Amino acid sequence: MGLSLEVKNLRVGYDRADVLTDVSIVARAGEITCLLGANGAGKSTLVRAVLGLTPPREGEILLDGRSIAGLPTHRIAARGVGAIPEGRRVFPKLTVKENLRTGAYLERDGTVIARRFDEVYAIFPRLLERSNQLAGTLSGGEQAMLSIGRGLMGSPGLLVIDEPSLGLSPRFVKENFQVIRRIQSTGISVLLVEQNVHQTLDVAHRGYLLSGGRVVAEGTADELKQHPALVAAYFGGDGH
Amino acid sequence: MDPALFAQHLLNGVMLGVIYALVAVGFTLFFGVLDVIKFSHGDVVMLGAFTALATSIAASAAGLSSPVILAAMLLAAIVGMALVGMLMARYLVLPLRNAPTLNVLLVTLMAGTVIREGVRLFYPQGSNPKPFPRLLPTGAFEFGAFTLRHDSIVLLVLGVGAIVFVHLLIVRTRLGLAIRAVAQDPETASAMGIPFRGTVLATFAIGSALAALAGVVNGLYYSEVSFNMGLLLGAIGFSAAVIGGLGNVYGAILGGFVFAALQTIGAVALPFASAYKDVFAFGVVILLMAWKPGGLLAERSAERV
Repeated sequence: MGLSLEVKNLRVGYDRADVLTDVSIVARAGEITCLLGANGAGKSTLVRAVLGLTPPREGEILLDGRSIAGLPTHRIAARGVGAIPEGRRVFPKLTVKENLRTGAYLERDGTVIARRFDEVYAIFPRLLERSNQLAGTLSGGEQAMLSIGRGLMGSPGLLVIDEPSLGLSPRFVKENFQVIRRIQSTGISVLLVEQNVHQTLDVAHRGYLLSGGRVVAEGTADELKQHPALVAAYFGGDGH
Repeated sequence: MDPALFAQHLLNGVMLGVIYALVAVGFTLFFGVLDVIKFSHGDVVMLGAFTALATSIAASAAGLSSPVILAAMLLAAIVGMALVGMLMARYLVLPLRNAPTLNVLLVTLMAGTVIREGVRLFYPQGSNPKPFPRLLPTGAFEFGAFTLRHDSIVLLVLGVGAIVFVHLLIVRTRLGLAIRAVAQDPETASAMGIPFRGTVLATFAIGSALAALAGVVNGLYYSEVSFNMGLLLGAIGFSAAVIGGLGNVYGAILGGFVFAALQTIGAVALPFASAYKDVFAFGVVILLMAWKPGGLLAERSAERV
């Protein structure tokens, strides 16, 4: 089942500057939790800290109550944290099949891996058609499917999804949100970073609004839709 | 040209190509996973040859038969250099991961000098070339004027076998998948659960084991090794890797054979001065680089993002 994530008083930075100061969030097991905010608000830095790519300077990161702060990235993956990274980051010179295989790198059982391939191909039949094609030759939308499929191949308890709709056509964006909902319905917890506020709040259970490296608003999706900070930033003065 | 002479040159060229390819694959693997040039690689080739030589002397003193000595020296050289490669990666290259690439180049250049001078000073009479034992069958097939020595066949099978083995390892195995993923995007690879450091160490072990094999094959082919043999072999292996397109394993293999072909052509075209074959080969490499700056199998820059 889904894993819960608790980030407490996190301070993260590069070189001398802190990008996040005293950030605390909770992603409940089995729910979709979204991180909203403008470019440079610190969303991606928070994701990098959770994945262990940028170790925090202070604070705690707890996965189902156990600390993962400071662990190397591959060990955090082994605890059940899957990633659909920003920009999709498929391996361009691996085939579609090989890309998916990297997602199940930690799984040794061949029959389990075969079953996961079937599951991913059932969600994205297009990937099956292209299974022997190099990922670098796929269209942007197909690469997005591949990145999501690869994230699912590890059968994660918590899936961190960073800006999945960036650079995609509206039709793909809509499909992406349907897939995210479908992922959550299988019991996987989702931490979703998005700029697409309307559609994100339609699928998310709860969320946080980051600005200048701090949490400036939090609550359920419905509460956030009404929140003055969000209304001001994204919904415009006319409240449409 | 006389067909027998042509065949002889061809065989010699292929033999050299195998040796160069084995060295070049190491360069390209290291560059692939870490974006570094490890300039001590040629000296690891030499150290592998000397490890084999010392093992063969000890084994023949123990009264073992030729095939057993051969197996023992191959094993000692390959395992020994795999360890040396991992130690260098762990303590010289990985700690400099966030330093400028030039620093890694400098450190490995110095490490190579330490290895080279170490062998010269500490191996008995290390300054002189050493005879390498002839452990392979000495017979030959005669086809008119063309002679195919049995030992050449064994060496070719050994070298080509190693190249095929590495190809299968890279393409078919879980470790090979990890190496390719780390080479393309180390962060994403680690987010998939692939251990970065472990994969780098394994890559250096494989590349250095190939260097050891190249050193032993070289020693068996020429029946002589010397403490400075790694200088030219390193320069050739590096050139071959760059000709083929640094980071591309098949490019490195191709580059090894291209370089050997150039040397052979140089030796044939300049029979009055075959000592100039390296000048010819490196000269053509310079022209090749001017023509295809990214190497023959260059990766288009869009694919490297």
